[in-house]
Amino acid sequence: MTLDHTLLWQIRHFVYNHFADTTHAPSVDETAQHFNISTEEAGEYYKELHNRHAFFLDLETLTVRMANPFSGIPTDFKVLANGKTYYANCAWDMLGIPAALHTDAAIEAVCTESNEMARLEIKNGSIAQDGISPRRGTAAEDGDGSSLLVHFPLPFARWYDDLVFT
Amino acid sequence: MLLFQSEAWIDKWCKRNNTQHGEVLTIQQVWELSKLWYGDRLSLDYHGRSLEQAEEIFMQAGLRSKFWYIQK
Repeated sequence: MTLDHTLLWQIRHFVYNHFADTTHAPSVDETAQHFNISTEEAGEYYKELHNRHAFFLDLETLTVRMANPFSGIPTDFKVLANGKTYYANCAWDMLGIPAALHTDAAIEAVCTESNEMARLEIKNGSIAQDGISPRRGTAAEDGDGSSLLVHFPLPFARWYDDLVFT
Repeated sequence: MLLFQSEAWIDKWCKRNNTQHGEVLTIQQVWELSKLWYGDRLSLDYHGRSLEQAEEIFMQAGLRSKFWYIQK
């Protein structure tokens, strides 16, 4: 099957904007219906976009697992923006969602190892507040600002070797 | 990429998972990187980016270590 280059990128755009509008990816059927093509054709475009790293599929079901920064499944990185709840793939992507949407956001994320809940607020293009949620009986640490860290385990050269781990 | 409260927690996680310590960025650095990396992701014109374009973004974000660049 010959793929139409323009349609390929229109489908990528549709998937991303569907994520932004609804917090989840469109199914292959929904995409087929939107573009008035067959489900089989839509599936081929999905696979091509997967091969080009435009998004990442569960290849058994052809559901979109990741369209970075959006996650197709719930994760420990929750982003509230525009009255919706999104899930990000990782600590980088939790900031990528407000960056992609160009909007304010409230982020709740679990810190690895310590299992503390971190909360961040993005306002007017800046981090307005970040810190660890106070546990019962402890002092609040909101606004300590500099403590939260993101660990990138693999160098850029290896990012696509093992995507889910990265 | 995982979120941690401190370097001590990162060291503990790396040891427990027998994983090499990678690069650590502050949340502010990641926010600056995110705006450059994801700011155009919803555009119809975004068709991915080349390695050179990715490395240019790392440069703009002030990330200068070898970790962010493919050795030629």
